[in-house]
Amino acid sequence: MPERPSTPKSLGGLLAVPAWVWLLVFFVAPVGMVVWFSFGYKPGVFGTHANDVLSFERYLEALSPTFFATFQNTLWVGLLGTALCFLIGAPVAYWMAFKVRADRRGLLIALVLIPFWTNFLIRTIGWQVILAPEGWLSTGLQSLGILGGPLDLLYSRTAVLIGVVYNYLPLMILPLFVAFDRVGPAVREASKDLGGGKVSTFLRVTLPLSRPGVVAGVLLVFIPLMGDYITATVLGGAKGNMVGQLVASQFQTAQNWALGSAMAVVLMLVIALSIGAAALVLWLIALPFRTRNRLVLGPSTGSGTGAGGGPSTGSGTGAGGGPSTGSGTGGGAAAELSEAAS
Amino acid sequence: MTTTKTETILRRRDGSMTGSGRRAPRSWTDVALNVWGVLVLLFLFAPIIVIVIYSFNTGRLLVSFDGFGFDAFRTILDKPAVQSAVRVSLITAFISAIIATTLGTLAGIAMARHPGRWVWWFLGLLLLVSVTPEIVDAVALLPWFVTLGQDWGMPIFNDGYVRLSIGSSLFATAVVSYLVRARLVGQDANLEEASADLYATSFTTFRRVTLALAMPAVLAGFLLAFTLSLDNTIVAAFVQVSGTTPWPVYVLSAVRSGLRPEVAAVSTIMLALTLVALAVVAVVLKRAGDSATDIARTMGGA
Repeated sequence: MPERPSTPKSLGGLLAVPAWVWLLVFFVAPVGMVVWFSFGYKPGVFGTHANDVLSFERYLEALSPTFFATFQNTLWVGLLGTALCFLIGAPVAYWMAFKVRADRRGLLIALVLIPFWTNFLIRTIGWQVILAPEGWLSTGLQSLGILGGPLDLLYSRTAVLIGVVYNYLPLMILPLFVAFDRVGPAVREASKDLGGGKVSTFLRVTLPLSRPGVVAGVLLVFIPLMGDYITATVLGGAKGNMVGQLVASQFQTAQNWALGSAMAVVLMLVIALSIGAAALVLWLIALPFRTRNRLVLGPSTGSGTGAGGGPSTGSGTGAGGGPSTGSGTGGGAAAELSEAAS
Repeated sequence: MTTTKTETILRRRDGSMTGSGRRAPRSWTDVALNVWGVLVLLFLFAPIIVIVIYSFNTGRLLVSFDGFGFDAFRTILDKPAVQSAVRVSLITAFISAIIATTLGTLAGIAMARHPGRWVWWFLGLLLLVSVTPEIVDAVALLPWFVTLGQDWGMPIFNDGYVRLSIGSSLFATAVVSYLVRARLVGQDANLEEASADLYATSFTTFRRVTLALAMPAVLAGFLLAFTLSLDNTIVAAFVQVSGTTPWPVYVLSAVRSGLRPEVAAVSTIMLALTLVALAVVAVVLKRAGDSATDIARTMGGA
């Protein structure tokens, strides 16, 4: 977009200054202070933190076997929860994007959105009511003879897993739906016409084209899930054992801000590292397929950089959908298709 | 621009279908997808339905259903603690939505209309704000407010309302910025240029053209920010000052001491309010010409 000469450039950018200041003062500075605290120590029974001697000892403490087990448990719940969200959510998003009549989609989106915008804590309490040993699910299953005794799920790791899958599922469905919808039926029908079966159309056309949505969904679920505190507290009880609870207890009950800060920093590092590791693994897995499948059509299609953030917002909604509107996706689709044809 | 690719083609196909007669028999995968979709939607609604039903529980404890009645709703009137918690939540959510909408709208307009290298830095910051686990925000803000209020002598940060409003405005600011930017990036700057050519001052152009173009996103952003702030539990639990306990924190402490049916009753009322807010957002966006997909993208906060 060319610079407009009518307003000076410096003045327009200044509109963002209040937001810059606000976020720097109330986000960057506090988080920076937590990082600073993490190098300190707890001076005595009544102090919360001191920074006159700096060391990495709080990090060693945070990674001691007792806390390490919690980190391990959190990572396990995070990975399994994200995988389950994808496995449960992807068919729903696919269904909403391709199998439902167009005039019903607005309603379905609303139905996915309502739980998403209902109070997180209240939804989780709803699960506590459902899973309680004296609740209706338990008594119902017992009267049907499926269960011998009261339902023994609440305050277990399974309950936490159910809770997190439930709570973060809309965050998986929505971006996947948007991505599937962007693919549109045109290229899918083309794939069918070229002899692609259902599975191969999905795996070789729909899924590769909706990769930005898949990435967005996985990140939107995994990141908050790793830092989850409420679900684990409500459904996991004392045995919930997520890092979020551990950090909270260091600040609220143990009053050891130094150790709590170190744990918070480790949590952020674990999240960043696991995302990095996942990206690396996916890149390595995709490498042989990319070199085999990708057919670059002409020099204009930007040498197949489909992964770079996806097409810009809302530009590809024209009905034509050819390479002229969304060149990145269009080019990729054409390449995949011609591969399917050969 | 009002329909997506899929919708246009589906409509065309439906039209030809009615001409050619009966629809082809459905394959088993389609049936399976239908069943799965309905099951997952039921799963999504299960706890909400349970909460609504249990708000009519006349028993002493929420979990065990004794009988049907409106006792829980009546109890709200007798409990000043519940009323005050809801009031604190509504007030702080409103303040924080105002803050987030103002800052986010300005930032979104700046990003869309005055792009440059700084936009990437700013987007990076917004991304960081939105991906940082809430618990980290919470444990960071508590010592920060203590430092500002007690060590650096700014007593305003000891006030419960101020702390809660700031705490829930951060993520909301990021959401509003994304929304406003996405709205304006999708539209050309032609109108602003025309306005400038017609000798409007830059402030008039800003107010009557840019802001008017961004208005649907601003309104949607405001309501989403309000809902987000109303929901804010983790940060609120850390930064709250006794005396100004917001509703979610009241509920969280009730989780530990024993949940009573009035929690469900208040939640049912709040759910109704949320539904109204969501409906308003949807209508605003629909009027502005968004397709179902655009609405999903907007409301998903992505």
